[in-house]
Amino acid sequence: MGLLTSLKDSISRVTDGLFAADEPKRIGIYGPPNAGKTTLANRIARDWTGDAVGPESHIPHETRRARRKENVEIERNGRKVTIDIVDTPGVTTKVDYKEFLDHDMDKEDAVRRSREATEGVAEAMHWLREDVDGVIYVLDSTTDPFTQVNTMLIGIIESQDLPALILANKTDLADSDVQQIANAFPQHETIPLSALEGENMDEVYTKIAEYFG
Amino acid sequence: MPHQCIECGRTFPDGSKEMLSGCPDCGGNKFQFKPRGTAEPEPDAEPSADPAQPASSAGSEPTAGSEPPPDFDSRSGPETSSPGPAESPDPTGGSDPADRGPEAAESSDAAEPDTTDPVDGDAERIDDGESEDSAQASARSDVVSPDELDRAAREAGTSETGTSEAASESTEPPASQPGVDELRDELNEQFESIRIVSPGQYELNLMELYDRQEYIISLQEDGRYVIEMPDAWGVTDE
Repeated sequence: MGLLTSLKDSISRVTDGLFAADEPKRIGIYGPPNAGKTTLANRIARDWTGDAVGPESHIPHETRRARRKENVEIERNGRKVTIDIVDTPGVTTKVDYKEFLDHDMDKEDAVRRSREATEGVAEAMHWLREDVDGVIYVLDSTTDPFTQVNTMLIGIIESQDLPALILANKTDLADSDVQQIANAFPQHETIPLSALEGENMDEVYTKIAEYFG
Repeated sequence: MPHQCIECGRTFPDGSKEMLSGCPDCGGNKFQFKPRGTAEPEPDAEPSADPAQPASSAGSEPTAGSEPPPDFDSRSGPETSSPGPAESPDPTGGSDPADRGPEAAESSDAAEPDTTDPVDGDAERIDDGESEDSAQASARSDVVSPDELDRAAREAGTSETGTSEAASESTEPPASQPGVDELRDELNEQFESIRIVSPGQYELNLMELYDRQEYIISLQEDGRYVIEMPDAWGVTDE
């Protein structure tokens, strides 16, 4: 009886292991608002599945709920990597409806957007704690990366031992400074790209396969 | 009783952990945040403390400091010793009266219940939970809208004008102002996961949001919020 039980246990351990290896890794796309997270998520999803993940906008906090694209198969060097992409709302420590008023929005809509954005940040932080196996951290390479939010999030990701890929986005803009991003997080590799223009996506996919495969 | 189950009406003290796994009576997971001023049937203690703040012309910000004055004064006594030159040597319970030293006799004459009530309120809060809860309570009390404060002030003004005058006098000394600012900074650092500064303006404590097992899935400007319970995900407590 004992022998049978232990045999059954070891078989189920092996099968569990096989399924766990097959299960796609859930990769969260994190970063501050307007870094280009949704543009990147759409670029990846369109390149490999033909679908988009969500609407992009120059107005901050366009993504106010985490959106997931499952079973994105990326082929690199004859190897297939399957991931679930989670596009998360931009993380910030302050949300103020006044910043939306400049974008032709009336006060009521701005206040609602602000509240939803706040709920979105709560959701993004919750996903980070519970539900992601790896992180693609997207930064706008035209802005200063030394912020409280970036430092805190990268710190959390490191403390969780999650594999993290740092992307310096918006290299198509004249004032892009990739080196500034690399200097801010020297412990991580920084990959430059323009998600909007599709520049350097080959390297991004190679790194995704390497980090999350 | 700042939290009330909106299903069955059961109330919970601030910082109560009971509600974290749903209302024990009905299992509901929607709660309404009721600031003390509005929840208590006998608002004697609150209005007497609240009107002091509008009267001090510092807007709604010092409300955070208004609720637990004895508690915080005693805790931050050593830090606030610089602004108040002669009054700090007594860092324990005595610091509050010491602040108001010059008018202590006057105000205690006029408002004897006024000085005892906040102590009762504070004692009640200490019974409710740990010391952290009083900070949370103060931070949350910022949610009270200026309208509600004004209303409370007016009620207090009509019912007991003497005490409200005494209260406003007692908070007047500008020497205590730096202490209030410090206290506010301290509270801002301690606020819970999401602080509603005003409708549409929020401050988020990312570490708090990350650390908490349940998470806020819906906010409303009136202080109501909906949280998803860990039980609903089938996750056991750590």
